[in-house]
Amino acid sequence: MEKLTTKDLLKNLKPNKDNKLSPQERAANAGRWIDERLGAAKGGRTFFNKIFPDHWSFMLGEIALYSFVVLLVTGVFLSLYFDPSSTMLTYHGSYKPLDGTQVSAAYNSTLAISFNVRFGLLVRQMHHWGADIFLGAIAVHMCRIFFTGAFRKPREINWIVGVTLLILGIVNGFLGYSLPDDLISGTGLRIMFSVLESIPVVGTHLAFWLFGGNYPGNGVIIPRMYMLHILVIPAIIAGLVGAHLFMLVRQKHTQFPGKGRTEHNVVGTPMWPGFMFKTQGFLFLTVAVLALLGGLAQINPIWQYGQYFPYKVSYAVQPDWYMGWLDGALRIMPSWEISAFGYMIPNQFFPSILFPGIAFNIFIIWPFLEARMTKDRDIHNLLDRPRDRPKRTAVGTGALAFFFMLFFASSTDVLANYLSVSLNLVLWFFRIATYVVPIVVALVTYKICIELQLAGKNAGRRKRFNVVIRTEEGEYVAQKSPAREGDMDVLSEHGEIPLELNDRVSHVIRQSADSIGVESKKSKTTT
Amino acid sequence: MDWTIFLFIFIKLNNLKFIFSTALLLSLFIAVLAGFADSASNAASNSQSSTSQMPTSISHVSASTTTSMATSSTTSVKSVGTPTAKQSSVSVGPLLYQGSSVRATQSQINQGKVLFIENCSSCHGIDASGSVRAPNLVGLGPATIQFWVTTGRMPLSNPIIQPIRKPSRFNSSQTLDIVAYVSSLGPGGILIPNMNGVNSASISDGASLFALNCAGCHTITGAGDALASGAYAPSLHQATPTQVAEAIRTGPANMPRFNSGNISDAHLNDIVKYVTQGIQRPNNAGGWGLGGVGPVAEGFIGLLIGVGLLVLASLWIGERD
Repeated sequence: MEKLTTKDLLKNLKPNKDNKLSPQERAANAGRWIDERLGAAKGGRTFFNKIFPDHWSFMLGEIALYSFVVLLVTGVFLSLYFDPSSTMLTYHGSYKPLDGTQVSAAYNSTLAISFNVRFGLLVRQMHHWGADIFLGAIAVHMCRIFFTGAFRKPREINWIVGVTLLILGIVNGFLGYSLPDDLISGTGLRIMFSVLESIPVVGTHLAFWLFGGNYPGNGVIIPRMYMLHILVIPAIIAGLVGAHLFMLVRQKHTQFPGKGRTEHNVVGTPMWPGFMFKTQGFLFLTVAVLALLGGLAQINPIWQYGQYFPYKVSYAVQPDWYMGWLDGALRIMPSWEISAFGYMIPNQFFPSILFPGIAFNIFIIWPFLEARMTKDRDIHNLLDRPRDRPKRTAVGTGALAFFFMLFFASSTDVLANYLSVSLNLVLWFFRIATYVVPIVVALVTYKICIELQLAGKNAGRRKRFNVVIRTEEGEYVAQKSPAREGDMDVLSEHGEIPLELNDRVSHVIRQSADSIGVESKKSKTTT
Repeated sequence: MDWTIFLFIFIKLNNLKFIFSTALLLSLFIAVLAGFADSASNAASNSQSSTSQMPTSISHVSASTTTSMATSSTTSVKSVGTPTAKQSSVSVGPLLYQGSSVRATQSQINQGKVLFIENCSSCHGIDASGSVRAPNLVGLGPATIQFWVTTGRMPLSNPIIQPIRKPSRFNSSQTLDIVAYVSSLGPGGILIPNMNGVNSASISDGASLFALNCAGCHTITGAGDALASGAYAPSLHQATPTQVAEAIRTGPANMPRFNSGNISDAHLNDIVKYVTQGIQRPNNAGGWGLGGVGPVAEGFIGLLIGVGLLVLASLWIGERD
């Protein structure tokens, strides 16, 4: 098919009085209509010509993007049926074990979505799994960015936007988790109230203001969380996702070094034709995995938990995984009473306000911190292999290990139960292991990185024996054995002509008589 | 003594440390022997204080029952025939069931005594008055005895902090015999609860009462969870209606006791109905229930299967070079 220019089109348009346009012409017409009004051609060209590197690790962020799309679509569906109200009513729905009990309108409508709305339970479960996977994908994507150094100049701002998206995702996930007003999420909300209350000076005021009084408040918290969950935070997330992608297109992709890849080009597939189909396929796969989980694996069966009342509590209450590290930090915090300026600072302030505050601030300033430490302020479009930056990789794996330990610490009770060991033992294990394991992991990672670097430099060049030979005169001569089989190509590539293809030491010794004369002369000159 | 296998492996692996290991093994062996000697003397002192039975015969009986409990019962009736004659002063047996006038018969008590001596007396003593290793059972009542025996927690297989549930060693009539014997030794305690009202009980009241009184330890899904210092709240998924009611009324191990002032008989029936019909048959409308442990399992599935599958998808779509 030949390319159509505007001129060709105009030429073609005139004789076609019976208005029979080919599909290409119709598309071009429509495009021109938009371009004449919005000037979209320039941006469209940039978009369609955008080159995407082919490496699989560049697709991890898309998992997050597409699960966000699924979250928006399923969320809109759920909002049609959900009633964000704490008004108590008597339940007379399909789930008989709760028949005749007092439930809130929020809980009642969530049960109705689960049991009475067509596709309701599937969509609700897809929404919940979607949130788990959205944040999981962000974490995996963030690891890729971190370990390959993609956050370096000029992409520091995009890194900060990404970290902000992570924080907002966690906050919105927690709000959504709390909306159904079931026994487990209510317990989480109770913890959150205490966490807010623990902030020195302003804590009590803040918590009372948000909840409309002392816990559980006067029924305002669910409508307020709903407003934040479906409007304010998704709008900010959508805006920041737009900014994230705009910056990506504007700054162009990073890429791994390789043949034909430089700091000034991007090797890969253009958006059109090519990447568009890959990424569309990936959207469908993401939806498929979410639908698979939503349809087959039960998540948050609130009907088994019942309506939340402040005087009822269930054991084994955990938040969703992305809050797990905060819950773990809260669990392993020793019961210290720390005072400042004559006032006791509530214990939970340190693990649940101060610690995440410091953690997220380190995330945000990391690009600048690293630039300061390495004094590397150049523009980088080529990525590092993790092994080539052993210190950064060690810090990263150490931090990951730290957060993983906290994450596991959030299930101390479940672990103790499944392993049939004392809960206190598990708690103390985590109190120590949370600090020891990251250090060990970081050191081991550093060592592995160094080893891998060496392996890269000496690839195909295994160690060669040093054969010590005693000459007839009684002189000792050290002789290097020939390179081993398989190493030959590499050696000849490096300009080293290999000796004979014998890799057995005994063989070398048997043959040594011939070479002794030469070798001993050499050794004499050197020694 | 399966840990000795590890010692042998240890020796096998480290020939240089052979002498050290042998010494260690010997000292452990001596320690074990000393432990046996200690327990044997304990059993002897208990039986001497309670009855005029010969201590050696008791240890023989308890040792033989571990291998052939059921078959040895007929032979041991003869050997301990004399003490049952002493007990014949109890003309009418104790009441066993709540709200029922059925009493244990003398033959039940006799059979129960045989079973008790074979399986329980090495720790609790022949007259169930306890020892340094086990509590006094006199006056605990039929419900307690039946709960511990039917859940298989007694006889104890391993003296750990909290006995674990296992298949019961006795059938229901043998269990009742033991219950009858222990109950005949002294008055008091709680009778086996009557489960006739369960069918007409309210499952939704049961759900509410369960959340209020039980979920704090057993979790809202009844999966059970670890408590402090090695204690734990067991899973409720295997409990029978009678066992649930007995546990509530008698408070086994770390569990608190709820008498009819805390939970009325009607409410007891509600809870039993919710546990056996709600919790043991959960409505997993959403699919795979993931063990009912909530967000911990969900997080693992979401990360391993969800994110894992999608990372595999990106490996499939993207290049690996």
